[in-house]
Amino acid sequence: MADLAVDLGKFQLKNPVMTASGTFGYGFEYNKYYDISQLGAVVVKGIRMTPSHGNPTPRVAEVTGGMLNAIGLQGPGVEKFLHGEEYMPFLRKTGASVIVNIWGTTVAEYAEVAERLEADKEGITALEINISCPNVKAGGAAFGTDTALAAEVISAVRKATTLPLITKLSPNVTKITDFAKTAEDCGSDAVSLINTLSAMSIDIETRRPVLANKTGGLSGPAVKPVAVRMVYETARAVKIPVIGMGGIMTAEDAIEFFLAGATAIAVGTANFVDPFAPVKVIAVINDYLDRHNCKSIYDIIGKVETA
Amino acid sequence: MSQTGEILSNVNLKGDYYSIEFYAPETAASAQPGQFVHVKIGDDRGDWILRRPFSICNTDPEKGIVNVVYKVVGKGTAALAKTAPGVCCDVMGPLGNGFVPVPGTIPVAVCGGYGAAATFMLTRQKEKGVLLLGARSTADIILTERYEAAGFDVRLATNDGSAGTKGFVTDLIPQLLAENPGKKYCFYACGPHPMLMALARQLRSLGEMGQLSIDHRMCCGVGSCFACVVKVNAPGTADGWRYARSCSEGPVFNLEDVYVEE
Ligand SMILES: Cc1cc2nc3c(=O)[nH]c(=O)nc-3n(C[C@H](O)[C@H](O)[C@H](O)COP(=O)(O)OP(=O)(O)OC[C@H]3O[C@@H](n4cnc5c(N)ncnc54)[C@H](O)[C@@H]3O)c2cc1C
Ligand SMILES: Cc1cc2nc3c(=O)[nH]c(=O)nc-3n(C[C@H](O)[C@H](O)[C@H](O)COP(=O)(O)O)c2cc1C
Repeated sequence: MADLAVDLGKFQLKNPVMTASGTFGYGFEYNKYYDISQLGAVVVKGIRMTPSHGNPTPRVAEVTGGMLNAIGLQGPGVEKFLHGEEYMPFLRKTGASVIVNIWGTTVAEYAEVAERLEADKEGITALEINISCPNVKAGGAAFGTDTALAAEVISAVRKATTLPLITKLSPNVTKITDFAKTAEDCGSDAVSLINTLSAMSIDIETRRPVLANKTGGLSGPAVKPVAVRMVYETARAVKIPVIGMGGIMTAEDAIEFFLAGATAIAVGTANFVDPFAPVKVIAVINDYLDRHNCKSIYDIIGKVETA
Repeated sequence: MSQTGEILSNVNLKGDYYSIEFYAPETAASAQPGQFVHVKIGDDRGDWILRRPFSICNTDPEKGIVNVVYKVVGKGTAALAKTAPGVCCDVMGPLGNGFVPVPGTIPVAVCGGYGAAATFMLTRQKEKGVLLLGARSTADIILTERYEAAGFDVRLATNDGSAGTKGFVTDLIPQLLAENPGKKYCFYACGPHPMLMALARQLRSLGEMGQLSIDHRMCCGVGSCFACVVKVNAPGTADGWRYARSCSEGPVFNLEDVYVEE
């Protein structure tokens, strides 16, 4: 058994396997399958100040090697998240490390959500600022594709909370390292990437977009090589830790991200295929480390050989 | 809750319809009418990665068998139809909330096409009931022999008149009610969305009891992704409705909760 504990600067995790926001609900659903406190961290679906309906349906479309989604961040709002039985009170009872993904439609709303969570932060390990959802019109994408706006959001959230901050980056930009540096400069303690790639699918019989929202975010195995490249570049551009995700279905996929420079990884779409995916990833990473005589996960982090 | 799901048999019923049996003892042990299984067809990580949801048509708890009746409509179901017994398909389930039989009422299953699979286990109730089955044409009429063998009174409606009454399944309801004015019925429905909405309006105006299985394209099947949402009434909120996850909060909803757009 190798040592899987990782240090993300302002916080530590017992192992480097987290869930990707929006693919694991609020943890409640999967705790019926296994004890979710085994995971490095549970990252919950995006939370804003008020409840939101999200987008009309159809919200998902399957494509070769993955899927498109345009859920539109349906959610209970921060008050219900903090007090509703199946949200934070449940998560506190499990003892899991909880990372709350937050979003807003204005800079002020991002800060407000962070402030509200700060006031009730028991059981919260960190906040992940979602500046990169491609499915929300006011805000979301705009914040994640403009470095000046990204800086405003991250700085405002930084002022509103003492909790460790992760900034979740959008891949829908020309140079993702610019955004990673912005996050670092504005006080973010880590960056996570990638969110989904903006995409579209058309039904050729009806000639209509498959998604009601017309466009959506691509995730799953198809995005993995893009994500690995972005993690590789980002890990070289910033000093803060990088959390890698995008198409991780197996431990082998995860190990590519560690080699590319990720300190932790998140399992997303794979949860839909196999609810046990994150626990299987942890077990098989362990086997891999043993097989390669590695004492610690750090023996592979950033160890891709490019010479 | 998740099993290797060896295929025990996989036979063509007629046309595009198949009946498949999985060895899934945990699912078979507790499945209720209207619940579903989420099936991983093959190992493909390319052409399709998501599971496919199917209603549990029948079970044999002693032998650990789960029966699903499916129509070939796309890639996944086409691949399933070609899969031989002996092959395993990971089966998750039973998932979702099923129909809750109302004691002292006569069950009336109101179904469209393969919706008839979702209500079949209601035939296990003591009260023998009625199946009202609607379809485009006789080619989409399935499972009637099974319902008849279980003692149900089967009545058909087809859009083209090729079997039963020409028209919609909802057209069969006034006649049924007129036959036995004193009887108390409970309607259990599964079918295409427009049919369910028409039925919801009709049952409300008639003051009848009902439970409707309403779903949308699913992804996780357990309530985590919010893909398969349908509108349900939410009294006291600004819009009067909210999006409920059909996989975990449904797929069966009480008639009172179904939001019908006017
Ligand atoms: C709760 C529930 C119960 C169901 N019960 C049955 C049943 O008993 N028998 C049966 O034949 N079918 C049933 N369906 C529909 C069945 O899931 C789809 O026909 C099947 O997923 C189509 O897969 P495909 O790969 O052949 O089609 P494709 O069109 O290739 O599938 C592409 C994607 O769209 C989804 N999809 C396509 N059509 C539907 C649909 N009608 N409903 C939901 N998702 C769809 C698929 O799951 C997949 O993700 C049920 C659906 C739900 C939600
Ligand atoms: C259905 C769905 C919902 C998602 N919702 C969110 C969300 O609320 N917030 C967020 O930051 N990312 C969200 N994401 C993006 C994922 O967290 C992840 O970044 C992306 O899917 C890539 O990883 P994957 O290929 O392993 O799924 C969502 C993805 C999917 C598929």
